[in-house]
Amino acid sequence: MGKVFDWLDRQFHLISPHKRFFQRSVPPDLNYTYCFGGIAFTYFLILVFSGLLLSIYYVPSENDAYKSVMIITNEVPLGWVIRGMHKWSASFFIIFIIIHAIRVFVSKAYRPPRELNWIVGSLTLITAMASGFTGYLLPWDQKAYWATEVGTSMVGTIPFIGKYLMYAIRGGAEVNAATLIRFYSMHVLYLPLITGILLWFHFHMIKRQGISAKL
Amino acid sequence: MDRRDFLKRFIKAFFFALSLSIISIISYIYPTKIKQKKTFYIYLTEEENLPKIGIRRFEYIFKNEEKTINSFVFLKKDDKGLAVFSPFCTHLGCLVKWNNIQKEFICACHGGRFDVEGKVIAGPPPMPLERLPFDIKDGKVYIGIKLYG
Amino acid sequence: MMDTFNKDKRVKKFYPDYLSEIIFTMLIAFELLIIFVLLYPPVVGRQIDLTKPFQPIPEWYFLWLFKLVGYFHGSFAFIGTVIIPLIFVLLLLFIPFIDHGRYGRIKAIIAGMIILIGFIGLTIFSIL
Repeated sequence: MGKVFDWLDRQFHLISPHKRFFQRSVPPDLNYTYCFGGIAFTYFLILVFSGLLLSIYYVPSENDAYKSVMIITNEVPLGWVIRGMHKWSASFFIIFIIIHAIRVFVSKAYRPPRELNWIVGSLTLITAMASGFTGYLLPWDQKAYWATEVGTSMVGTIPFIGKYLMYAIRGGAEVNAATLIRFYSMHVLYLPLITGILLWFHFHMIKRQGISAKL
Repeated sequence: MDRRDFLKRFIKAFFFALSLSIISIISYIYPTKIKQKKTFYIYLTEEENLPKIGIRRFEYIFKNEEKTINSFVFLKKDDKGLAVFSPFCTHLGCLVKWNNIQKEFICACHGGRFDVEGKVIAGPPPMPLERLPFDIKDGKVYIGIKLYG
Repeated sequence: MMDTFNKDKRVKKFYPDYLSEIIFTMLIAFELLIIFVLLYPPVVGRQIDLTKPFQPIPEWYFLWLFKLVGYFHGSFAFIGTVIIPLIFVLLLLFIPFIDHGRYGRIKAIIAGMIILIGFIGLTIFSIL
């Protein structure tokens, strides 16, 4: 290793605690169907980074949200690339989680001792979809508004408590500025944090249990 | 106090604290501004603009200190008299369109259809279109729109 | 479990064998993304206008739900909006526990198929 890395290693002891992790053996008959989870994680990382970049220009307010998305898309240099990356990697994230889940199902990798890991993975899919739903409102255009109107009204159809649940989600009786702030907070704070914790759990369990052997 | 007693007390205290904090978090999250729906009467149009027979769409702008609402209503006039319909589909809140050939209101979202009287004829909506109160004074038409707070 | 693999014909280590493959697939994934971004740049929709009827189309992964909601009429709407999606979610979460006992795998395959065919079938219906 290089001098800088050696110096860092002396400071932080990077190598010795991770030695077992890096030098562990991997089943030799893994094929490329085993990389879908890794690809999904790649898209998660891209989502986090492009999201951090978008948050520099985005303004989560009733009057400025639409304008700021306009500015990101049309005026900020490469803004449309960052926004496109965020939008597309969200779709790819979910596609590859689904493909990964199908692969895990086919190779029976959800069986003991990996039940909990399957559940954590499924929860990641749900948080990913929730992120997609909350993120859909943020551009604050026609599509966003009406999709959220329909989506939150669906909660309102639950007998008895539905209406109050819907008000709690919307932060008011109708989709309004409070809804935008709520969804923004969910989209950029709560859900990424939850997804991150779930993924950490997911990878930690893989590290402990090893990669499931083929079929 | 042995260990078992301590654990019992500890678990009780834990659940007490947990339920207390859940209640306070819910009361924090739940919006405060939701009050009963109130009816505000606003000027819509002159009486001579009303349709002789049939259905016409009227846009309105409502303004108060808190918000500005730019929306529309459907006015129906026939031998039964005047009726004002809210354009919001009772299913999931999309806006309905009046189709003059089929003589029905159509919600594009999930295919809800209402007849001239606002009654559901097809699709998932659970209730007929909401009828808004109205008033005609000195040749001016006022409608009552319902708002929260 | 891991020791059994070492007896295999050739031993693979996480570093460098597997890690290099991971980095390779990550790069492929990134290139795939960039291709789509450049081919289909994002657009900004129209401004919110409460006077024009608008039919919202959700993201593709919610199309199944959007279609499902239309099937349940009147006061049964909550079956389509809450109950069936909840059943889907619970089936998905509890697949490891459905796969239990003598016909476990078959039960799990049925549960998996219900979710997958429900998802893909309803998505296709909503596009048509």
